[in-house]
Amino acid sequence: MYSAPDSYAIDLPTFHSEINLPYTLTPGRAAGTFLAEVKNQRIIASRFASGRVVAPAQDFSSIDGEEPEAFVEAPQTGTLTAFTRVDGQVIGLVRLDGCDNELVHRILADLDQLAIGQRVSAEWDLAVEQSVLAIKGFVPTPDAAVGTVRELVATEDPLGVIPYAMKLDFEHAYGPYYGRLFDEIRENGRVMGVRQPGHDTALLPPREIDDISHARTGTWKACADTGTIRACSIINMEVYGVTRKVPYVYAEIVLDGASTKMIHVIEIDDLETAKTTIKPGTRVKAVWSTGERQGRVSDIERFEVIEA
Amino acid sequence: MARHVGIVGVGQTHHARRRTDVSQAGLVREAVDRALADAKLSMDDIDTVVIATGPVLFAAVNQPEKWVVDAIGAQGKSVVRLTSGGGAGFAGALSGYYQVAGGYSERTLVVAYDKLSEGQLQYSISTLYDPFWGREFAVGIMGFSAAYWRARMDVLGHTEEAAAMVAAKNRKNAIANPYAHVKKEVSVEDVLNSKPLCWPIKLLDVPPISDGAAAIVLASEKVAHHSTGRPAWIRGMAYCCEADNAAERSLMLSEPLALASRQVYRAAGITNPRRQFDVVEVQEPYSCFELNYYESLGLCPPGQAAELVASGATQIDGDIPVNPSGGCMGANPIGAVGVIRLIEAATQVMGRNESHQIKDANLALVQSGGGWANLRGCAVLSA
Repeated sequence: MYSAPDSYAIDLPTFHSEINLPYTLTPGRAAGTFLAEVKNQRIIASRFASGRVVAPAQDFSSIDGEEPEAFVEAPQTGTLTAFTRVDGQVIGLVRLDGCDNELVHRILADLDQLAIGQRVSAEWDLAVEQSVLAIKGFVPTPDAAVGTVRELVATEDPLGVIPYAMKLDFEHAYGPYYGRLFDEIRENGRVMGVRQPGHDTALLPPREIDDISHARTGTWKACADTGTIRACSIINMEVYGVTRKVPYVYAEIVLDGASTKMIHVIEIDDLETAKTTIKPGTRVKAVWSTGERQGRVSDIERFEVIEA
Repeated sequence: MARHVGIVGVGQTHHARRRTDVSQAGLVREAVDRALADAKLSMDDIDTVVIATGPVLFAAVNQPEKWVVDAIGAQGKSVVRLTSGGGAGFAGALSGYYQVAGGYSERTLVVAYDKLSEGQLQYSISTLYDPFWGREFAVGIMGFSAAYWRARMDVLGHTEEAAAMVAAKNRKNAIANPYAHVKKEVSVEDVLNSKPLCWPIKLLDVPPISDGAAAIVLASEKVAHHSTGRPAWIRGMAYCCEADNAAERSLMLSEPLALASRQVYRAAGITNPRRQFDVVEVQEPYSCFELNYYESLGLCPPGQAAELVASGATQIDGDIPVNPSGGCMGANPIGAVGVIRLIEAATQVMGRNESHQIKDANLALVQSGGGWANLRGCAVLSA
């Protein structure tokens, strides 16, 4: 008998996190040539030994992986083979004249002006460079003559690098254990873990099941905001995404009353002194931020060494 | 009973800081063409394909196997894509090994790559941290690795000087490797005097950031002879993990590597690794890692790695050469590294490593993994 347990979803606040990344992508020879040629308002395609022509140009055949025998210029006219509307923007598949694949692009018309089999032609946006969007889109052109694929005498050198960026937003669910951990940090300014089965020390961050024994964890326990460094290094280089002024210490700290680490930072004046004064075993104390607590680890601004 | 599996063809790219002449897919194609040619095979002869890369954020292409399949002409074949951090290439090879050993494939192509010039390496690695608990303070894998190296100094005597000896040794060995792109001899003093990045890790303890791909063809005993008269037989292969933030986890010794080596040594009949192995290839993302591998792989007892490297035994002319290829110090396209180490060990026991052959090498040990200690594997290859 399969029966559903008596559980249900509860809507609760989430933890927002962002990942922002810049890239320098390598398009390769075919796509790089296509992108370099848009400034000449030419659509570069690949022609394979079989006679198959594919636009935009590809380095490898999607049929058998073969490399193209030549780059050719595709005509700027074609036939609409499919279309849809997304967020008010019509997107379509266009089979350029003489080509054997479909190119995805914007269709610059409303749905009621379009039909499968409709003739279309490319419209360029001279303000856009090094992008497939230099073709602004395809416009219905009922009387467009059927174009032909043309040989190329020479092409621009392929672009080697294309700048790109990705911004990813996430809404992570806390779950009951992280939920209480961060509520306690925000409301009471204390870091709470759960007891390891059979021990009085707390696991941080708190969790339902102990990693080693796989037994259910015990009751909640407030840890001190003092602790001992288990491992540390001195950060002395600029890293994308890290805004803190170097040098500073990256530290893995076991709070008093806990058995697992928390990751935090310690400010230092100079690297050479820190090599000997901050090390595994060094006692440290949390410095809480002075503003309103947000319910995050960064409500502790940093740790500082407890002078003996 | 598992079938015997051999490496019968290998290929890798000339690794570089940045390859602007090929896309990710084009990079993969180069390695695959070389491995197939080396095995005297075409893609038609391949039953299954494994594609391995590091985290997607390294180069911003999700499900890159869809792109790669077109580029290598593997349309219609059984394809598995696998990712496992720094150990991705090794985990991919293990997956291919299972397929052939289990009788599901006669020939499996494993290709692994990363094109690290395209993204922000350390920032991408920082996203592996718990977003609630630590990510905002993460400095990639470097901050963390340096922190535990510092802890090992006190407990195991992994000194800055010992790690500098590893860096100097591997950088020197890389000079002879035609596929390496960092080829500059440095002294132990140069390493010790180089700029601290995440102290104790200094500039010359750190391998380059690379674009590169590597491929191997795995074959069953039944068909291996079509490619070569002397395959590199896989005598044992394992990849283990451990809990990330458990109470008992000291991070001093690598428990998963000790577990993996115990399994593999039992399968391969290894009782005295120091004496039995002719050559060792390890994945050392920073010089300090190699010291830990000596101990976790049983090349020396815990606490004696510094002594082992100082003795010269792991030099290319020592009794247990480690990384005669130069290891990661010559090139480090992370996702590909596990397969590169397998290639280096395979060509040694096949007796066809043109640039840095260890004389009469019959038995080789390969280590690879991801993270500081939590994902670790090893394999034994023999002639």
